[in-house]
Amino acid sequence: MTSPLVTFDGVVKRFGDFTAVQRLDLTIDAGEFVAIMGPSGCGKTTTLRMLAGLDQPSEGTIHIDGQLMNNVGPHKRDTPLVWQSLALFPFLNARENVEFGLKMRNQGAKERRDKAMDWLERLGVAEFSERNVETLSGGQRQRVALARSLVTEPRLLLLDEPLSALDAHLVIRMQSVLTRLQRELGITFVYVTHSQSEAFAMADRVVIMSNGEIAQVGLPRDIYREPANQFVAEFVGRNNIIIGNITGNENGNLAIQAPDGLFTVTDYERVKNVNDEATFVIAADLVTVSRTPAESENTVSCTLISEEFIGSVVTLFLETKQGTEFKVQLQERELITLDHTAGGAFYLSWKTADAHLLPG
Amino acid sequence: MIVQRLINWSLRGYVLLLFVFIFSPILFSVVFSFNSARFPTIPLESFTLHWYKTIWNDPDVWTAARNSLIVSACTSVLATFLGFCTAYSDYRYNFRFKSAYLALVLLPPTIPLIIMALAMLAWFSKIGASGQLWSIIIAHSVLTAPFAMAIIRLRLNQMDKDLESAAWNLGASEWRTMREVILPFCKPAIISALFLTAAVSFDEFAIAWFVSGLNKTIPVLILEIVQGNIDPQVNAIGTFVFLVSMTLVIVAQIFFTLRAGKMMS
Amino acid sequence: MPQPSTRNTFNGFALTWRMPIIVWQVLFFVGPLLFMVAMSFFLVKNYRMVEAFEFKNWEKMLTRGYFWDSYALTFILATLSTIVASVLAFPASFALAFKVSPVVRRWALFLLIIPFFTSYLVRIFSWYVILAESGVVNSILAQIGLGPYTMLNTMFGTLVGYMTLTLPLVVVLQTFALANIDRNLVQAAHNLGCSPIRAIYTVIMPLAKTGLIVAALFCFILSFGDFVSPYYLGGSKPPTLPILIIDTTKSGQQWPRAAVVAVVMMLTLITIAFASLALAYRKRASR
Repeated sequence: MTSPLVTFDGVVKRFGDFTAVQRLDLTIDAGEFVAIMGPSGCGKTTTLRMLAGLDQPSEGTIHIDGQLMNNVGPHKRDTPLVWQSLALFPFLNARENVEFGLKMRNQGAKERRDKAMDWLERLGVAEFSERNVETLSGGQRQRVALARSLVTEPRLLLLDEPLSALDAHLVIRMQSVLTRLQRELGITFVYVTHSQSEAFAMADRVVIMSNGEIAQVGLPRDIYREPANQFVAEFVGRNNIIIGNITGNENGNLAIQAPDGLFTVTDYERVKNVNDEATFVIAADLVTVSRTPAESENTVSCTLISEEFIGSVVTLFLETKQGTEFKVQLQERELITLDHTAGGAFYLSWKTADAHLLPG
Repeated sequence: MIVQRLINWSLRGYVLLLFVFIFSPILFSVVFSFNSARFPTIPLESFTLHWYKTIWNDPDVWTAARNSLIVSACTSVLATFLGFCTAYSDYRYNFRFKSAYLALVLLPPTIPLIIMALAMLAWFSKIGASGQLWSIIIAHSVLTAPFAMAIIRLRLNQMDKDLESAAWNLGASEWRTMREVILPFCKPAIISALFLTAAVSFDEFAIAWFVSGLNKTIPVLILEIVQGNIDPQVNAIGTFVFLVSMTLVIVAQIFFTLRAGKMMS
Repeated sequence: MPQPSTRNTFNGFALTWRMPIIVWQVLFFVGPLLFMVAMSFFLVKNYRMVEAFEFKNWEKMLTRGYFWDSYALTFILATLSTIVASVLAFPASFALAFKVSPVVRRWALFLLIIPFFTSYLVRIFSWYVILAESGVVNSILAQIGLGPYTMLNTMFGTLVGYMTLTLPLVVVLQTFALANIDRNLVQAAHNLGCSPIRAIYTVIMPLAKTGLIVAALFCFILSFGDFVSPYYLGGSKPPTLPILIIDTTKSGQQWPRAAVVAVVMMLTLITIAFASLALAYRKRASR
């Protein structure tokens, strides 16, 4: 077992009366790609800034590579950050921007120049090396900013919503550039974002934060399929959330009475008892929809409220008699067979195995 | 809508008239400096360079010009330094009594020059620093530092708020960041401030007159010539003074509007 | 605002940038002004100033008729200058704010800033020549059979000088005040049947009130403290307060008495400034 590269231990950050980070315990291993995700104001950027030394924890400790980093100035750590605003120096050209970190380490002019050109080359922007950064396009500036952060060959790279200013098609391109770089260099990326698709597409591990606390840490797939709590269930993906009372328990197979009917959910961890309140989620893409009543353990009937078409995937928004909203995701070509434009009832059903009971 | 048009055009005419009023003394001063009449009026007499020759051969004018040059050059450096320190403090830090601090910096130009002149004269005599060129320089730096501060502060406002942190993040200490990032970013504003404070200092006469002792600057020389009688060589000196001030102000303006990116590459 | 990096704000780096101006202003701005106030209580014996705390200078100055004549004249001239400059500037500022393109406005403002940084002294001398008995204005008037008029050594001459000093600044400040008004409000007023002229004083002037008052305040301060115009164009009979300061300082060596005049001027200006700023920032009167 190697020791973790980064350890947050009981870290609290207050700005005056406002507590940005409540209590953070987190370890990040060397070579990991960790995404920290959450709505704005959840403390994710503060967490990143504390890693960079731009903010200091009010309580708790941060270790990087086994060394206590509290009160180590930002310039004395090797934790380059790729800024949301990019923060390129407007009075320097692209190459001089990349050289900046090397110059601060007092490397010779020739060496600096060679390394900077190498990195610009590697990121495909060598031809713009002598251009003023303000004349470059968004994507080019992005690559210069990346080169500037990587040129010192750090063990840890911090990224603060670096793709948020880019066009959608460039985001996909830059995602693959980032993942490829991370694999090739084997360095640790800590990536802050509010975008689920960016986090899930790139990260080995995702940290979901809410109100200055960690809501869940896990593999992207686990977070998507097995949210730990209602916040994650609502924040991630399109989940249907059902709350009811447990009326029966047979070897962990719970019978749950909800306003819209009786449902079965498996309690693998055996944490629930009869008469407890239980919340379970069923992902929108795991719900089957048909025009005829389905033969299944879990079924509800609904009327269609609206639909959302985003290319190959369609989301249907439906409502039960009790007014509960259901979301169903299906392929566009499946929709054709459904005859969904006609009125009348829709029958939703799902397998018990696909329903996920929220612990706690 | 004919009435509306008429109003609009008369308003524009009025603006023009106002500009004529504001600029006619400058214009006439230049015209009369080339006019042979001892007491210039319209119609003009013949063209002459006599007044310029007179001042060219006047050692007093040369001494005063030298003094003015030293005073405005030193003032501008000193005032721009003070202005920069203050602008950066205001930009970067919040601290107790900050509004009092800013008031202390920005108040001098609102106090009548004649009062400042008397106060400076008395104070410099008290501390044994009167009658020197650097007495003027110190007084002028107090007067002009707020202008430098304002120009540089506006420039700092345009800076990406992450730029300074980005430099620390890349391994630059606060001092190194100052040298490598803040100063280069503020360079156009600093140059602009240098020229503008030089222009203000170059034209200031009340304080200079009170504290200069025997070291006359150009404006003080003009003041003394004018006190005597009508002497058209004032027009020649005046034209020269206008030329210098205008140049300084225009250069300041050019650097003020210039964006940092354009001047480097 | 970027956060102070690591340590608290009370570090060497922060102080390096904060201290120079404090030291400088205390030594060479607050120091001189306080010393001047103290000096007004000093005595002059055998042409030498003696540090003391006596009210002699105050008695001497405040009981003299000529001091109060000067005070009244200076106050009246500055008030008159403020009114005339505000009135003369307003149509021009209005035109620059509402009737011209932004490009023209920028150029106009730039041109108006130039005089502020060029020699006031030379411009006044120029007016002296232009306004003289046989000067430019009278020569032109003579062509159409008028004049000659005496303009130098009159209140008119002084006002021309004051306008040279203050008009550019007043126009600039007024234009800023007017240009910052929300155009929609003006259009709303027109839309509600308010005539353009009425809109000026029912909508535009109240909205730009603060800026207009600040412009007037600067005009008052500049005129009140100026000695060049009343001296060269106004003939300085009787002298205004700034001329009184010069005469007392330069000829009589009576610095303490000059300090009395200066302190009275400062008190007057502080009162005026506070009063007009209170007026400028006052919430609209309740109806």
